[in-house]
Parts: sequence; C-alpha cells; structure tokens
Amino acid sequence: MKHDPYSLTELIRNEEFIAWVMHPDELSDRKWRAFLDKHPGKRKTVESAREYVILLAKDTGRHQPTQKQSDRMWSVVESHMHDEAPKAQEEVNAPVFQVTRGHGWRWMRVAASAALILSIGSVSYWFYYKKAESPLQAVAARDEAVTPNTIQKYNDTDKPMTVLLQDGSSVVLQPGGRLSYSEGTNRKRREVTLTGKAFFEIVKNKQKPFLVYSYGLATKVLGTSFMIDASSESQDIKVEVRTGTVSVFSISNLDNSRKDAVLDKPELEGVTLNHDQRIAFSKESGKIVQITAPIAVASEKDVSKQQFVFDETPVSEVFRILESAYNVRIAYDREKLGSCPLNATLVGQPLKEKLEVICNALDAQYEVADNQITILGKGCK
Amino acid sequence: MQIATSTGETKDHDLWQRIRTGDEQAFTAIFERYHRTLYNYGSKLSTNSSLVEDAVQDVFIDIWRLRANLTEHVTSVKFYLYRALRRRIHLALDKFPSMEEISELDDEDTPANHTHSEAILIEIESSSMRAQRIQELLAQLPERQVEALTLRYFDDFSIEEIAGIMSVNEKSVRNFIYKALTSLRQSREILLISSLIFWLLLFF
Repeated sequence: MKHDPYSLTELIRNEEFIAWVMHPDELSDRKWRAFLDKHPGKRKTVESAREYVILLAKDTGRHQPTQKQSDRMWSVVESHMHDEAPKAQEEVNAPVFQVTRGHGWRWMRVAASAALILSIGSVSYWFYYKKAESPLQAVAARDEAVTPNTIQKYNDTDKPMTVLLQDGSSVVLQPGGRLSYSEGTNRKRREVTLTGKAFFEIVKNKQKPFLVYSYGLATKVLGTSFMIDASSESQDIKVEVRTGTVSVFSISNLDNSRKDAVLDKPELEGVTLNHDQRIAFSKESGKIVQITAPIAVASEKDVSKQQFVFDETPVSEVFRILESAYNVRIAYDREKLGSCPLNATLVGQPLKEKLEVICNALDAQYEVADNQITILGKGCK
Repeated sequence: MQIATSTGETKDHDLWQRIRTGDEQAFTAIFERYHRTLYNYGSKLSTNSSLVEDAVQDVFIDIWRLRANLTEHVTSVKFYLYRALRRRIHLALDKFPSMEEISELDDEDTPANHTHSEAILIEIESSSMRAQRIQELLAQLPERQVEALTLRYFDDFSIEEIAGIMSVNEKSVRNFIYKALTSLRQSREILLISSLIFWLLLFF
C-alpha cells in the first residue's frame, strides 16, 4: 500500500494540522478547507484526527496542580523572593516557649493594643529571631521544611491553629491557611508569607517593623494584632483594622534599593488604616478597590473579634475563652486557681503576653508542652 | 516548521526583561502563567508529586535569585523553563541525560501504514470510545513517549523544541510520537477484533 500522508496517524502528528486544530487562524482554516474540498473522502479522517489531537492535548494536560499545591509552591517561591541573605543554621531546635517569667518579656508588654484585620492573598514574614519547632505548631500543623531556612506551617485541620513566633508574637491560622517565614539574619524587619486566613498578634518593636507581603503589596505594622483572610481564589486583598494603626503599600513598583529603605524605616507609609477601618486591594493592580462591609459581630470562636476584656472574671472562664480562641488546651488546678478573679484587657496581645499578664496577676507560671499550656500557681490567697 | 504564538512570546520577553531588573510583578506573572503547565509536565517525569512541586519551585527561585545574571536574549522563556525543570527533576531522580540519549539512537523511523483498517475504525468509533482509548493508551505508554506527547499536544512545542528539552535529536522525538500513535492504532485493532468476535458470537 502506498504511503498516505493524510492517513489518520499522519494527520494526528502533522504539525500544520495540529496548529490548525489548536489555534486555527484564517490562513490555516483556508488551507484545510481547500484540502477537504479537494478530498471530500477525507472528511471523516480529518474529523477523527481532529478529535484525537484535542483528546491528546486534554489528556496529557491532566496533571495540573490543585489550587492548594499552587498556593504552596507560590508561597515557597515568594518567601525566597524577600529573603536573599544567606541563613545561619543556628539553634534550630530551640524551643519557642521558655518558662522564663519576667525575663526578656518585659519589653514585649508594650505590645500595641491594636487589631487589624487583613484579607490578603499572601503575606511574608521574616524573623530575626531564631527558628524553633514549637510544640503548639507541631500538633496541628503539617510541617513542611521546604528548605532548611524556610519554615512553613499549613493548617490542614478544620480548627484554628496557633503558631508561636520567635519574638513572642502569635498567629492563629485558620483551616487551609499557610504561613511561611524564614529565620533569616534580617536585623531590620520581621516578615512573613501567608496564604489563607490568619489572625496576627504582633509584639511591638519599633526598630523592627513587621511586614506582610502579598502579590507585591506590603502591609507594615510596628506592633499590633490583625487578621489576615486570604483566599487564593479571591481577586482582592482585604485589610481590616480594629484598633491601632497599620500602613499598606505596593512594593512592586519600587526598585530594590528604594524598597529596602521604605521597608526598613520605622514610619508608616502608603495607605494608613486606623482601628475599625477596612480596605480592599486588587491583587493585580495593588490599588484600593473598595471598602467592604462593616466588621461582623463578635463571636467567641473567632479570635480576631474578641476583646478579651476581663472584669472580675473567674480565671476558669478566662482560660475557657483563651482555649476556644486559640484552640489550645490549658491545664491548671481548678480548685486552687479556678475562682481567682481577673481584671485585664488583653486585646491585641499575643497569646504568650496574655498568659504572662494572667500569670503575673495570679503569681503563677506557665509551661508549654505539645498542644497544652500548663499553669502552675498556688492560688489567689 | 515552528508555529509560535507570537503575541505570547513577545509578552514573555517583555516580562523576562522586567524580571532581570527585579520587577516582582513580572516575576509573579511568569509564575502564574507557567507553574501549572510546568507541574503537569513534571508529573510525566516523576510520579512523586512533592518532588515535582519542589522542582517547579526551585526553577522559579533560581530565576529570581539569579535574575541579574539571566541571559538577555532568551529564545523562548517557556522553552527555558521546561528545560530547566527537566534538568532539575532528572537531577533529583539521579538520572544522567547522556545515558538515556544513547538508548534512543538506534530507533528507526517507521512509517508503516494501515490505512485500510483505519478507515473501517473511523466509521464505527464513537467519541466516547476515543476518549477512553486515549486514557488507556496514556496509562500504558512508556514514560518518554508520554513526555513527548505532552510537550507536543498539551504544551504545543515544536518537534525541534521538544528535542531541545528532552536532549535528544528530532528524529527520536518523531519516533516517540509515532510509536505512541501506533500503539493507539494497535489498541484500536484489538478492540476491532474483540468487537468482531462479539458480533460473530451474537449471530452464530
């Protein structure tokens, strides 16, 4: 049999034919129409070959990543973008939590009583502080040590998960949220990458601004607490401030030298948000697109909405609220401590600072092991 | 003959130049545009999804890290990315590119034809049968044939580009694709025979 250049197999692998099937244009359309007019008997073969080409394209493209995988890859890539200094691999296994009451914690007491709720696609966080495997994180999180220097926390549970950062700040990661940061040698700023939703309570440190990066957008705080809600499908980045002040600005248009200067300086620039203000940004343009609906009614489950105002509140109730807000377990001697009254306003403080304040009032100490916080005290007599 | 999507490539080049000057938005755009198809391609080279994810990440991390030293005139950004990914994955799998090349050299070109049986098949086949056939075929084909098919049909590379990505000559690429399509025909013949038997049993 003579070789037929327009047999089914030949058509399927013919470059011009493939090009016509996949991206038809006027020229190729004319050419193949003319061919069919000339060989009307080939119509079925051409139709069949066409279908095969489309099927082959479709089926060989079946292995695309899930949204989750895409997010994961991007957050790793993004965390490397802002982290170019070589990292020292020191004190990798030092515990985050130390039972060092009254030592090294005092300065953090100045934590701003500000709350910011952000909805952001992706946020970056760099720590000057040493990396540590927090027991709290380890339970809920699937740790993904992508590189030795990048710490990734992913909440694949259906409950909130508390991640404790080295400087004493805490992050409550909502289900599906992903936080990545490097324990860099950056002495000038603290930075993280986040996908999904998380509530940040950041220790105040004017010398070291806390930065949140997202698609070229940076949110800068000097010390505050805020919520980041970031669904990858969403076109917008939303920022919500309850108390305190933060600034949000685009960094994609800044060149490197200017960017460093802007990121490092202690002043807040860009759009400044005060408490109870909300804003939305377009991921693509980095421009403000809308002011969203008012802040939802407080729910005990949602840590970002809580005031943590305690007025002669029994400690047992205080601990119950903290357990629920941070999804942790707090063990204490109910008989000795449970009924002790507490007066405190703990809004905007990281979990550890809250514990610190409570323990000071109770003349107690706290320890953290696994997913459990243990309060040791003699009671309030 | 190379059929390039000229507008896409112009845009890639523009983005590439911007990445070289440290433009994060351009970098994000390139990642957004290619990471999914790269992952898809990587999945044909390794079934280990975390290895593939890591390799895709590393390709992009390297681009950003070495952005200042990137070549100004990259022929095709897409080609560059795919070749880089393949190298990464093969490095991770501990494969040596020179070894696999040798094994393909003695492949002969085989333009054998079965026009007759094809003609019959086209008539009796339904679309759903074709779709199923392709799926079965891809599941049983050798890895390198699937790789070539993916680059050709899904990623729309030319034979020349595929040869560059897979580090083999163009003839080998044509062979991979030809053999894959021949398997398709063979599996169709098996189906034809089985349906013939079915009809025979039905009537006698």
